[in-house]
Amino acid sequence: MTVSMATKAGPNPVVRLIKTYPMELILIVLVVLLILTAPGFASMRNLLNVLRAGAMLGIIAFGMTAVIIAGEIDLSVGAGAALAGTIVAWFSGALVDYVGGAMAALIGFVAAVGVGFVVGFSVGKFRQWFNVPSFICTLALFTALRGFANLITGGFPLTTFPPGFDFFGGGYLLGIPFPVYIFALTFAGMHFLMNFTSFGRAVYAVGGNMEAARLSGIDIWWVKSMTLGLTGIMTAISGTLIASQIGSGTGTTATGLELDVIAAVIIGGTSLFGGKGRIWGTLIGVLFLGCISNGMTLLNVSEYWQYVVRGGIILGAVLLNQVLERVR
Amino acid sequence: MLDANPPQNRTGGLLEFKDVGKTYGQTVALTQFSHRFTPGKVHALMGKNGSGKSTLVKILAGVILPSEGTIRVNGADAIFHTPHDAFGAGVVTVHQELSLIPSLSIGENIFLGRLPMARRFGLTMVDWPKLHRDATALLHEMGLDLSSHQLVSTLSVGQQQVVEIAKAMSFNPSVLLLDEPTSALATREVHLLFTLVRRLRERGVTILYITHRMNELFEIADTCTVLRDGLFAGSVEMTQATPASIVEMMFGETAKAKRPARKVIDRSGAPVLRVEGLTRQGLFSDISFTVHRGEILGIAGLLGAGRTEVMRAIFGADRVDAGSITVNGKTFTAATPKQMKEVGLGYTPENRKEAGLVQILSTHDNLCLASLGHIAPSGVVTRAREQAYVSRQISDLAIKVPEPMLPVSALSGGNQQKVVIGNWLNTQPKVMFFDEPSRGVDVQAKRQIFDIIWDQAERGLAAIFVSTELEEVLEVADRILVMRQGRVVAEVDPTATTLAELYRLCMEGPTA
Repeated sequence: MTVSMATKAGPNPVVRLIKTYPMELILIVLVVLLILTAPGFASMRNLLNVLRAGAMLGIIAFGMTAVIIAGEIDLSVGAGAALAGTIVAWFSGALVDYVGGAMAALIGFVAAVGVGFVVGFSVGKFRQWFNVPSFICTLALFTALRGFANLITGGFPLTTFPPGFDFFGGGYLLGIPFPVYIFALTFAGMHFLMNFTSFGRAVYAVGGNMEAARLSGIDIWWVKSMTLGLTGIMTAISGTLIASQIGSGTGTTATGLELDVIAAVIIGGTSLFGGKGRIWGTLIGVLFLGCISNGMTLLNVSEYWQYVVRGGIILGAVLLNQVLERVR
Repeated sequence: MLDANPPQNRTGGLLEFKDVGKTYGQTVALTQFSHRFTPGKVHALMGKNGSGKSTLVKILAGVILPSEGTIRVNGADAIFHTPHDAFGAGVVTVHQELSLIPSLSIGENIFLGRLPMARRFGLTMVDWPKLHRDATALLHEMGLDLSSHQLVSTLSVGQQQVVEIAKAMSFNPSVLLLDEPTSALATREVHLLFTLVRRLRERGVTILYITHRMNELFEIADTCTVLRDGLFAGSVEMTQATPASIVEMMFGETAKAKRPARKVIDRSGAPVLRVEGLTRQGLFSDISFTVHRGEILGIAGLLGAGRTEVMRAIFGADRVDAGSITVNGKTFTAATPKQMKEVGLGYTPENRKEAGLVQILSTHDNLCLASLGHIAPSGVVTRAREQAYVSRQISDLAIKVPEPMLPVSALSGGNQQKVVIGNWLNTQPKVMFFDEPSRGVDVQAKRQIFDIIWDQAERGLAAIFVSTELEEVLEVADRILVMRQGRVVAEVDPTATTLAELYRLCMEGPTA
């Protein structure tokens, strides 16, 4: 919600604009710079690729935003995405003779989504019942889920998808990559959920002050578990899209995805202490990360320097938010 | 660094006050306090809240400086800028809140911040054998059968209190201040503590003992000094004192509290809330009471009497071991705050910062926290829909808020408290628990909050009001339950009792 910030009247409209929309302005400056300097950045084809790449992590990032606002964390989304891809591939192969390829893939997709939700929801329940922090639980899942993915595939990519399956990850609809539609839908859904439902308001309350939320009669564990479960669903969707794009279910894909997802959320201004953050901010964070990676590649910046720059950006974004917090 | 080896055998401290006063801006906390605490005795210090007792403790602990006057320890002028200065002069305070680190051993806790070091293998490192040797010697000297290696987390609260005193004694003080050391202890553990206090007295240590418990005075103290409204009210030898004489010193001539005319409460119908035999081991037992529509029930009791614990348990915030709660005919033996909210209970917690409000959210959001189910039965909620609820509370409760969309943390204590109340009034409760609603708010806001409670009761709300300030309970409530050590010990009519009488009921021990 931008309401609360926009109402804070500063003396100078320009200063106020900078204070209210810092990341938005930085993103605009970055895009302008890249258009001027990076060859081919402004081409439609390139921009659509930036969006497609952004969509894969962005879909998960919106769920992660809710998780982090609720005061939890999920480190297992990269492994979860890989697992989801292998589940879809396995079902596609195992059931193709009984129900046909399309139905087999659909069953696989539903199964992957179900697994994603149950695993995520259980992380919240573990926190409630055994007081195991979600950091620990999802760190365990981070390795375990990838292990399961490799057990399913036996270590080799499963290329059992039905014909046409590559459309979901790699195809275009009306000239726009299909994952971008899912990305937009997820954004709209999560924006609505966080701002216009009592569940969303409860997420902010739980992350801002667990005890106050509990004493206000909010079922805090259900709220936390649901954010983790939702992220599990989004991870499964994204994992399916990635598998579709690369044409196989494999346990080795999406490595390090969790860090990019969390980075996008943080760059978007969400506080790791909980209670504060916006879905809109995460959209900006996703686009920012996408543009900077793409731009650096186009500018022939070495891969090693790209890692360094991305680290600097995460730190810089957090510092910027802290500084702005003080001057606001 | 603190001195690991303070001067030995510095017992028998003579503590003298001459015209000591403390003012905070306009507020006078302590005025012209002059007294001589004779060496080697246990001196009790008494006074109700706001009497200047804690100010005196803070001055002696080196937490604050007096505004005027002089303090002498063994004839030498003492000005304590820091707690360290106080240690240096041989004055050591054991605060009410325990300050031990549970995950460390007893020995390490005692010498924390001044661990003995030794040079070994060319490195300066902690000398663990010496630390535990010294700690063991200290514990034995005080007659305590505890191992220095034991973790503090494995000790009972009473044992921790004793370790706290052992830690204080490691500074070899001549004056030892014990600030309500028994407030968290069970009876059995009080004896352990008293044995230790007597032993220290035999060694010649001057002990200042602050307590609310009347019977302890007669058991442990040699003299009793009383403060009232920042003034010295008197001092007696315990051999010549009676509970009545001490209560009189504490309250002087007290007038009855003033309260508005309240309509007669109709207690003929079924009560809105009925609590029966509510028990939780170690906190409270066999609590039974009823509240009717439109009634304000006050719960009086000293700190640690179990008032908050009982209310939280009724509201489902903490578990209970036995007993039942009936709200509007629905009976619960175990419940969650969510269920209790649904049947019409509301609870404004005593610590609004930690438990009442989400500080980083806006006033708007905080006013809708508990009532989202009312505002949005379908689960979909918009600012516009919430607005009616927010505006109503802001105007009804006269909440001074420049911009409801800004974080609630910017508001004053009184206004924050009103937001907590408004949050619950939005759920249209049948029964409301007001836990210390007047804590940390200014006088005007306090009046307004009382007016809100009276007004809501007029409209049919059953209210349960708790305050450490007995004057307030007397003023606000229609009926008062007195709690002591987790039990309801009396029920009084506020129009037929005095403050001194109520205070006497709240304190333990022989009746005056």
